[in-house]
Amino acid sequence: MTAFFDILLGGVFHAAVLFLVAAGLQLVFGVQKIVNLACGSFYALGAYFGITSVNWAVSAGVPPSLFLLVLLASGLLLGLIGPAIELLLRTVYDRDEAFQLLLTFALVLMFQDVLRYFWGATPQTLGNYAMEYGKLSVGDLQVPTYNILVILASILIAFGIGAFLQRTRYGRILRATAENREMSQALGVNVRWMYTTVFTLGTVLGTVGGAMVVPTAAASLDMPVELVVEAFAVVVIGGLGSMRGALIGALIVGLMRAAAISWWAEIEMLAIYLVVIAVLIVRPAGIFGKPIE
Amino acid sequence: MDSKRRKLLHAIGGTGVVAAASPYLSFPAFAQNTPLRIGIIAPKAGIAGTIGECGLRGTQYAVAEMNAAGGIAGRKIELIVEEETNPKDSIERLRKLVLQDKVDCVQGIVSSGVSLAMGAVAEEMKALLVFWDGTTQDGVKETLPNKRYVFCSTDNECEAVMASLLVVKHWKGKFKRVAGINPDYSYGRNNFAAFQALMKKFGVEHEIVAEQWPKVGTTDLTSHVAALKAAKPDLVFSSLLFADLPIFMRTSHGAGLMDGGTKFAFPGAGFQHTALKKPFTPEGMILGHNTLYFDHPNASPMQKKFVKEYEDKYKDYPNWEADRAYFAMAVYKAGVEAAYKAKNAWPGKEDIINAMEGVKVMSLGGPGEMRKDHIAEQTFYQGLSTHKNRYDFPTLGNIDTMYSTQLQKPAGMDFWEWIKTANIKL
Repeated sequence: MTAFFDILLGGVFHAAVLFLVAAGLQLVFGVQKIVNLACGSFYALGAYFGITSVNWAVSAGVPPSLFLLVLLASGLLLGLIGPAIELLLRTVYDRDEAFQLLLTFALVLMFQDVLRYFWGATPQTLGNYAMEYGKLSVGDLQVPTYNILVILASILIAFGIGAFLQRTRYGRILRATAENREMSQALGVNVRWMYTTVFTLGTVLGTVGGAMVVPTAAASLDMPVELVVEAFAVVVIGGLGSMRGALIGALIVGLMRAAAISWWAEIEMLAIYLVVIAVLIVRPAGIFGKPIE
Repeated sequence: MDSKRRKLLHAIGGTGVVAAASPYLSFPAFAQNTPLRIGIIAPKAGIAGTIGECGLRGTQYAVAEMNAAGGIAGRKIELIVEEETNPKDSIERLRKLVLQDKVDCVQGIVSSGVSLAMGAVAEEMKALLVFWDGTTQDGVKETLPNKRYVFCSTDNECEAVMASLLVVKHWKGKFKRVAGINPDYSYGRNNFAAFQALMKKFGVEHEIVAEQWPKVGTTDLTSHVAALKAAKPDLVFSSLLFADLPIFMRTSHGAGLMDGGTKFAFPGAGFQHTALKKPFTPEGMILGHNTLYFDHPNASPMQKKFVKEYEDKYKDYPNWEADRAYFAMAVYKAGVEAAYKAKNAWPGKEDIINAMEGVKVMSLGGPGEMRKDHIAEQTFYQGLSTHKNRYDFPTLGNIDTMYSTQLQKPAGMDFWEWIKTANIKL
């Protein structure tokens, strides 16, 4: 039974990480109709900047136990690059999807060099901060408390975004704009400002996600591409543009991966993409996606 | 010898390089006027970026030292650095170095995936190429048995063979259930297979209870560790060696895999030694430092000087790639100077290659040589981890030293057959 819960928690933890990246991707596509390949770069930036911020804060006398707050603050602060990037994306809003993909992929490569310039090629880690809050132990089952915090944070973010989109006036306007941009514009909605807000929120999801996850992992130049590949599997399974889809898709991918690793390690990636193929055959728009006309 | 040169030699005197170079400190003017151009291809980014960086620093150190002592046979060395990426692009850079930059020799390459493809191209181009850490093996099978222009590093399996021997030496009879977590490419697969073959050879009764093959670059190993823990191993053998190794250590520690006396062997830990912090890297693990153990108390003055300068300059401690890069340069230098001495004129490429075959050099980590079949022999270091040091990461408490003639197959022999039949000493 301990082994089962170990594997289950491993899967849910990975799902939590994936959700944070996929949520930003979904939000931006849902409203702006742009497949933002650079969402993984925001995640990586958040991870690197989080490490620097924590190291700086601790050396400045901030107690190590407050490192989580420092990480959250650094992720939120870094999200301010969102408006500048969105300004760049405006040049391709009305162009073919290929241009959008090319531009966001160019951003991935440019950010990789930015990371290399500021932090070098060496992968960075945050020492043993993940154990700062100790472990939760139930019998043989041991989980770092920090991992549970990451899972809870993802759940909170998922419900927070859901509530924002469903229950607030601004969220309703956002959804209306996503449905029909021209009509919203005709009714006086400042679509340009809305796009800036949404893109910044998507960026913040990535940067906060990267900052939160880095104590359990490492920040490396490869992480933007590595994670985006899995995030796309999440998006295809859940449905492009759907936040519920991101949550369920991340859970499916995380749990499938954990199960495959435990029982048949060789098919770790195959298992995920078998689900992707099955979804594409049975429900091409994804579980919560709208059929493409 | 003028006073300036005498002062310089005095300052760096005692190093093997100076000793080797001293007979050649006076060369004809024509040779001294044109620098030797050496092309370097090394990774600068990605999972091997940090390793390439350390190798490049080793090369730059060697070049600075050699140039200060008069260069190679009187000619100063000039480096042209290119990036190692995928095999196709790296081969293009080899062509550029040879055809456009007209380098005298190319050195570098960390990934055997690249060196395997590049070796054949270099042979075809007749380009002198000395690998830092690359082989021309497809798995454990040599694809270029009659190399002429390509010189390879020691076999990748050396560290796994040594770690396996230390497992037998320290823990035979103390474990039965074995789990492996190794990178999912030929290096990891061959290493774990070599470990099992050696357990069989030494009659170590064991049972493989879990095998994990994370792809290189995986940054979330929570599920892998959960699977290992579920198998309740007595011993974990892992060839992880990139950024995934500290993540594995930390995740294992957090999940309790390190509780209860489980033993661990990490043949390639030296690449990540400074990232394996004490709080999550316990004492008593087998850690491999390959051909350079930076904190060896009995290190040569040459190594001590290098480590000190490296620490002062980069605020870091070097891993074995620095030694591999230094070794490659030292072999080339020794070959050129031996050929020059024999010919009493600047030697051609074929003369240099002939002289490099069988040449013995002192590298940073210890003595080494280039076999006649163009495979390197070097000195390897592994041991049990300890926290009794001045660093925030473990070092080796007791150090085992082995020369690679005990760790790699001889020329022309099948690796698995060698394991079965070799008289390997513990």
